[in-house]
Amino acid sequence: MIIDTHDLKKTFTTRKRRGAPETVHAVRGIDLTVKKGEIFGVLGPNGAGKTTTIRMLATLLTPDAGGGTVAGHDLVGEPGQVRRKLGYVGQAGGVNDYSSPRTQTMLAARIHGMSKAEAARRTEEIFAALGIAELADRQGRSLSGGQKRRVALALGLVHRPPLLFLDEPTTGLDPQNRANLWDQIRGLREEGTSVVLTTHYLDEADALCDRLAIVDHGVVVAEGTPSELKQRVAGDVVTLRLSAPGAADVLRSAHCVREVREDGDTLRVYVDDGEHTLPVLLRLLEEHGLTLQSLGMQHASLDDVFLTQTGRSLRDAS
Amino acid sequence: MFRHIALFYGHEIRATMRNPAWSLFGIMQPLFYLVLFAPLVANTTPGVPFGDALRDFTPGLLVMVALFSSLFVGFGIIGEIGNGVLERIAVSPASRPAIVLGRTLRDVTMLILQSLVLVVIAMAFGMRAHLPGLLVMLLLMAVTGVFASGLSYGLALAVRDVNALSPMLSFLSMPLILLTGIMLPMSFAPAWMQAVVQFNPLYHTVEAGKALFRGDFGELSIAIAFVSLIALAMLTTRWSISSIRRITL
Repeated sequence: MIIDTHDLKKTFTTRKRRGAPETVHAVRGIDLTVKKGEIFGVLGPNGAGKTTTIRMLATLLTPDAGGGTVAGHDLVGEPGQVRRKLGYVGQAGGVNDYSSPRTQTMLAARIHGMSKAEAARRTEEIFAALGIAELADRQGRSLSGGQKRRVALALGLVHRPPLLFLDEPTTGLDPQNRANLWDQIRGLREEGTSVVLTTHYLDEADALCDRLAIVDHGVVVAEGTPSELKQRVAGDVVTLRLSAPGAADVLRSAHCVREVREDGDTLRVYVDDGEHTLPVLLRLLEEHGLTLQSLGMQHASLDDVFLTQTGRSLRDAS
Repeated sequence: MFRHIALFYGHEIRATMRNPAWSLFGIMQPLFYLVLFAPLVANTTPGVPFGDALRDFTPGLLVMVALFSSLFVGFGIIGEIGNGVLERIAVSPASRPAIVLGRTLRDVTMLILQSLVLVVIAMAFGMRAHLPGLLVMLLLMAVTGVFASGLSYGLALAVRDVNALSPMLSFLSMPLILLTGIMLPMSFAPAWMQAVVQFNPLYHTVEAGKALFRGDFGELSIAIAFVSLIALAMLTTRWSISSIRRITL
């Protein structure tokens, strides 16, 4: 385990101009375990406590309660040791407008103890790997959003950390840059780097992450691999339209069917494994002389998972 | 820690040197005073040669440079909170005091360079200053710079908002400047004001500068200025370092 933490809590008190101070329970008790070499996603709507969680794990905030180990060191007791082992790319990115990517990256490397020559070599290497060698000597402020994001990644990776935190890494990026960044994050996993990222994009969590924690209101509401989560909570959805009534009761009697919902003249049949259940369902309908008008099947999405756990859609919650 | 101070200092100096024009703005205002105001002041004391009038006027301008350039360094660090640079450095094993001290050293370096430019220009206008006295004054300027930039970083990290910092610094710097007797000699001031300025360390800095430029090392203000500003510099530096620790854990 590269991260093994339990019951992390953080409460903020915000002072308002008028009235009593307001207490915000940003994180109410989160347990997180991340395995070495996996891409772990923290998925949730804005304000769910994702950033607070990742900032606690990255030693930027002291937890009010709870603790554990991050990269082999005690999070609360040895933040200095933890910092040697991690890279962190915040939402703002941390790229200085008034100096070049090269000098900033060299400085970051040397703060981590590299010699000048070593830092220069490593800077070249990471810039080449991220495809930003030609930007090395530009001023920070002249870079585009996507370019800055890659420089930020270089700044977080120059010291070869075994653990990298990315807070909303693709927010605001166009599809092209987003796909590139996903590839680069997958490339890190190939090299054995563990990555923890926060996101409020369903497709990103689904496509990029090996395992996920879905958070809402400062607690983890579901955890597992994307396919586990979808399987466990909702499986597949088969949608049927029939000319005659009575099919709903027939389908409910089948042991492989979890739930049937009537939605107008369409039946939504929730099953564990659609591909294998579908032939069974069709045979059952045929046996009862029920004729199909149309048939469809969808995999349950992470949004279905969020919906069943919180009663809201992630799209509405954000 | 010293290695990290050197690293931050080197980085900041290089970044400043990439935009050398900016540091010129810090001395523009005092330079205008030198060119457009000093001749007027000189005429209020008929019979005193212009070079001697400049010798009394220039130390005040140096203190002005110290305030106008060092007191405003906090804006830079607010920018670095906004773009995440400070947060990124906070996650690194960088020594916390070094994050502030590297910047403070850069500020002091810039202040000394700016002071030298101003002194050289004043000399071109005919000022003659006592050389050892001038060097001691530069040392005093360095201490003033540490005080002012420490104060600026402390305030900046406390308010973290450019819109709040700007009026705050104007509010602070205006009376500090007026109560030094830079514009007109304090001997013109009413008694209550003369009593108040005794508590302004910058007044003593200006008085110390005038004495030092004359070559008079016996002036009491020299000791008062050094002692009070070293104490204040230590206080504000401690404040800014503890502020950095607080925002970065």
